[in-house]
Amino acid sequence: MVRETDPPLFSQWLWPSVLYFLEAAAILGLLTVVLSFLVAAFRYGPVAAGDVTYQAVRTSLRDLFSLSPRRISALAWLAVQESLRRRVLVGFAVFLLILLFAGWFLDANSNDPATLYLSFVLTATTWLVLLMALFLSALSLPADIKNHTIYTIVTKPVRLGEIVLGRILGFAVIGTLMLGIMGLFSYIFVARVLNHTHEVDVASLKNVPNDSSGSRAGRTTLAQNHRHQVTLDAKGNGSTDIAQGHYHNVTASTDGDKVTYDVGPPQDLLTARVPEFATALRFKDRSGKGGDRGISVGNEWKYRSYIEGATLAAAIFTFSDITPERYPNGLPIEMTIRVFRSYKGDVEKGILGSLVLKNPKTGRASQIETFRAKDFYIDHRDIPRTLTDPTGKTIDLFDDLVADGQLEIELQCLDDSQYFGVAKPDIYLRARDASFTMNFAKSYLAIWVQMLLVTGFGVMFSTFLSGAVAMMATLATIVMGFFKQFVVDVAQGAVQGGGPIESFVRIVKKQNVTTQMEPGLSTDVIQAGDRVFMWFMTHVTGLLPDFRQFDNVDYVAHGFDIPPDVVLVQVFTALGYIAAVFAIGYLFLRTREVAR
Amino acid sequence: MSSEVVVETRNLSKDYRDFWGRQKVRALKALDLEIRRGEIFGLLGPNGSGKTTTIKLLLGLLFPTSGQALVFGRDATDVSKNERLGYLPEESYLYRFLNAEETLDFYGRLFDMPAAVRKQRTAELIDLVGLNWAKRRQLKEYSKGMARRIGLAQALINDPELIMLDEPTSGLDPIGTREMKDLILKLKSQGKTVLMCSHLLADVQDVCDRIAILHQGELKELGRVDTLLKVRDETEIRARGLSEAAQNEIRSVIERHHGTVLSLDNPTTTLEELFLAIVRDSEARPGRRAKQDS
Repeated sequence: MVRETDPPLFSQWLWPSVLYFLEAAAILGLLTVVLSFLVAAFRYGPVAAGDVTYQAVRTSLRDLFSLSPRRISALAWLAVQESLRRRVLVGFAVFLLILLFAGWFLDANSNDPATLYLSFVLTATTWLVLLMALFLSALSLPADIKNHTIYTIVTKPVRLGEIVLGRILGFAVIGTLMLGIMGLFSYIFVARVLNHTHEVDVASLKNVPNDSSGSRAGRTTLAQNHRHQVTLDAKGNGSTDIAQGHYHNVTASTDGDKVTYDVGPPQDLLTARVPEFATALRFKDRSGKGGDRGISVGNEWKYRSYIEGATLAAAIFTFSDITPERYPNGLPIEMTIRVFRSYKGDVEKGILGSLVLKNPKTGRASQIETFRAKDFYIDHRDIPRTLTDPTGKTIDLFDDLVADGQLEIELQCLDDSQYFGVAKPDIYLRARDASFTMNFAKSYLAIWVQMLLVTGFGVMFSTFLSGAVAMMATLATIVMGFFKQFVVDVAQGAVQGGGPIESFVRIVKKQNVTTQMEPGLSTDVIQAGDRVFMWFMTHVTGLLPDFRQFDNVDYVAHGFDIPPDVVLVQVFTALGYIAAVFAIGYLFLRTREVAR
Repeated sequence: MSSEVVVETRNLSKDYRDFWGRQKVRALKALDLEIRRGEIFGLLGPNGSGKTTTIKLLLGLLFPTSGQALVFGRDATDVSKNERLGYLPEESYLYRFLNAEETLDFYGRLFDMPAAVRKQRTAELIDLVGLNWAKRRQLKEYSKGMARRIGLAQALINDPELIMLDEPTSGLDPIGTREMKDLILKLKSQGKTVLMCSHLLADVQDVCDRIAILHQGELKELGRVDTLLKVRDETEIRARGLSEAAQNEIRSVIERHHGTVLSLDNPTTTLEELFLAIVRDSEARPGRRAKQDS
């Protein structure tokens, strides 16, 4: 998994976000009051308008504080019944069909089947559930208004906010049920598909050259389109190499003269690594001079900076809290180093790099350890407690290289004119593994959050738009949400080719995005129009949720534990949006004559 | 009947406008009405006369263009008034995927009624409207008459003080119609106020204490049914024990021949005749109140 941003820290995120939320709520609330006053002044005159506006604000606040859980639950129950009547379970049937036929179109020879299958089930679930939420939420209220069934609701002591909230909750309940069942089926599907074993190909076992301990090496039989190399000790126990992202443990049992080898289930296939990231990262440039960043090799990897091969350039990671109690067997290091090649070389071979462990106080270092870095590949290596220094002298990891719990790891690229791309999360200590099942559940929680958002927006739009239009508006919100960064970049002029009008003109004229527009009145008019458009886009997209923020598929698919901070930020962000769409939906419904 | 005013409209008007805010039609013009506690009040009028608009304004389903609609002294848009109100819409706008018990339980929950009360009230009302035999069938399987009955039951779930009935006998068979009228009278006897609008004039005549006749959004007639139906320029005499000869000299001869006068009164017309006369008069003289001598 290659990260392009630092995950948020909940404690640092919360208060600025709450303040931003309150600020936005205050501005929108004030605008609503002013707009209401202007409309009332136009209809009833300025004196009566004050009273009308005051009454409206008073009633709204009273409604807010007189919400009844029983009425909300009744309306939620109605939404559930309606969903079932709308054959929402068809969505589940479609999901089952997709699972049944998944084997037809998923690559059985994939190098990383766990990532492939997990990405597949999570993505399929996300889109199915979001589509379901879109249809249910956007069409429900307009159908009630069209069929006049809403008459029998609003003529009861039902607050309009209860109608909005009841629907959101009802559809959320249905979505939760669907997600729960889909999650269970997905889990069983992935676990069953990936579970396999091999047999040791006894004929292939040969003594390991230059090894006096009696170790033997060979291979396993073919299963699920792959086989492993196996290394066994004198007793016949051992393990396989890593293939398709997993390995197997092998145990031998003897019955008289007959030795049978038992190959265990795949290990490290469905994992949830809990990485311990470096607390600091600094760089050295090609002349060995220190700095905060490496060099840039292009616009696209702003998060990473690069170190040049075969120079003094290095990336130095500082890890904290390194104690023998936490790591009694040494340091389990994992790396995902980005590779930037200025010439192709042997792409199968990887770029040569080195690691050196250093004491940050004394500068004492371990013997250089080399490795070959490949893009998008997790390289695992265990650093033992006993090491040697460059002179060949034995040193202890904790006694000689760790100072006040801190340890430095210096990374260098050794191939000339090749580069390593480095960011803080690229080297980490695999401190422990969390429960994969819990991690899988957390990824479904993120889908649930997205479903809740779509439901909220669907209900909100349906309070003032007809069914089809509400659905389109919600769909536009989802699409804009998934491409929010691009829209923000367009709105802020960070994308080549200008704003929407200019880029449209370029398309019509078949003009390259890098060439300048011809100076003149028409260009001035186009760019002035774009500025207005982009101002509008900046403010609208600023209010919309970034759906990518809720995407945890990569974490689970690549075997990383979803940090609790990420989950908390996602849930709180969604709750903030739900509060906002609830208020907006209430206000729109209040201004609507349901019998029109 | 109490003098307490339960429903009041003051200069109530409603214009329907298009998307651009241009007036399309004036559905109701300056309606002034008062409905008192304990009476059965009928709103009459041909299609498009404004009676359903009036009910929708009183329910807060529409907002007035000008004037005020007050229910229990509160603005019609005040949702708290609905605690004491029951409404039977023109069509049975109910959720067809629910059965009768679920329907009544659902509406009971909207009144924040506890489960035990809901259960008891649901059983009572299903019994009252005679749907015990079909209480677990989905409403989509109901006939129109059955749907009206369950619609009425939902309007009564909260034991309301004021009941608004939009075409209550529409879709009912003669027995159902009779039962509905009996029920309306029973509600009145319990001290409840009923506001109904109907096309079925005989039904209105049978149950209403007072009526208002609307035409083209204007109030054309308002008063007690018995007063309105009285034909003032005619006299009706009913007598017994007269000879054939005496019948030729009605009033003077009765006394001369020592006959007994049983009644001496103005005859009444039917509501249907009154209604048609008002509509004809309104069309002949638009914008003016109906002639009082009709």
